Amino acid sequence: MRRVEHVMGFPVSVRIDDEGFPEAPVDDLFAWLREVDARFSPFRPDSEVSRLDRGEVLSPGPELREVLDLCEEYRIATGGAFDVRLPGRGLDPCAVVKGWSVQKGAELLSAAGARRFCLNAGGDVVAVGGPWRVGVRHPEHADRLCAVLDLTDRAVATSARYERGDHILDARTGRPATGLLSMTVVAPTLTEADTVATAAFALGAEGVRWAAAREHCEVFAVDAERRVLRSPGFPVVGTVAA
Amino acid sequence: MKRAIPVLVLSVAGLIPVWRYAPSHDTGSSSTATEAAAPASTPSVSSSAGSGGTTSTVVSGSTIDTEKGPVQVEVTFDGDKIASVRMLQQPNHPQTTAAVPKLVEETLQAQSADIDTVSGATITSDGYKESLQAAIDAKG
Repeated sequence: MRRVEHVMGFPVSVRIDDEGFPEAPVDDLFAWLREVDARFSPFRPDSEVSRLDRGEVLSPGPELREVLDLCEEYRIATGGAFDVRLPGRGLDPCAVVKGWSVQKGAELLSAAGARRFCLNAGGDVVAVGGPWRVGVRHPEHADRLCAVLDLTDRAVATSARYERGDHILDARTGRPATGLLSMTVVAPTLTEADTVATAAFALGAEGVRWAAAREHCEVFAVDAERRVLRSPGFPVVGTVAA
Repeated sequence: MKRAIPVLVLSVAGLIPVWRYAPSHDTGSSSTATEAAAPASTPSVSSSAGSGGTTSTVVSGSTIDTEKGPVQVEVTFDGDKIASVRMLQQPNHPQTTAAVPKLVEETLQAQSADIDTVSGATITSDGYKESLQAAIDAKG
């Protein structure tokens, strides 16, 4: 079964290959993502994130605490390049919320008995069962791919400037990160893949090595000079390299 | 809606090296091969008749200096398709750990681009209808 809905401003596509899988858990998945949008969006004045930022909530709830702890973990790991609290701007944990919430959504489907499915949230993919063939969009051509991955029980996320412009800032300088054209990370969970990809993009050229050095993370990056860099374990198919 | 789909899906199946790829016609200085690669005198572009009437062309890429040393690749085209890639030059530095990023030539066989889904930078709902993923979702 397949379904596509739009949540948080991006499309979420679900494909479940288990025969006769019911609709209800998929309804639950989308309900969860809408709940996350309502609670954690910095663009909604009444969200938990906005109220915490205004000091109306003194202590975040357990789920927001989990998100903020992840944000802090990556801020430290990147030496401050990745930071959801930029000077002069409101708290914006979107970079972590997306991967984290979609990963939890995938776990809802697994808990409901889905064994082979693929969840694509605006370009971030959780592949359960498999193998799934996942194309990586070419950073300069929307209708082309630059790699095809073979994924089973893993997730992949890409950070780049081509869809939303210079939206990722290097918090060390406060300026847009421009060292890379695109940064794709494969990891066991989307929580990790998405956050590592964004944090590495914020780091710029040095982010490639930083991300590749993380246990269980495989990277595929195109730098500003259009050079392709990938870690040896990056699960590409269709590549012929000596 | 459905009518637009075959076009989009076919365009996925392009051959897409993402690489700063400048075919080098200079057969001089930087084309020394390492290991069991082609002899240094091999021209950087050569053609021969391949099977099925297609032409096989061998192109040497420009040398790129990396942190670990110079890298140069050679690509064999079978007609317009990349048939194989090999390293003409690669760093002597040992790849000690799997964590060290490796510079490689990425190529795709056109026929291998049969994909289930697409990863990319977060797409907006507005941009979705033009996307490859929309085509895949609609194809069902």
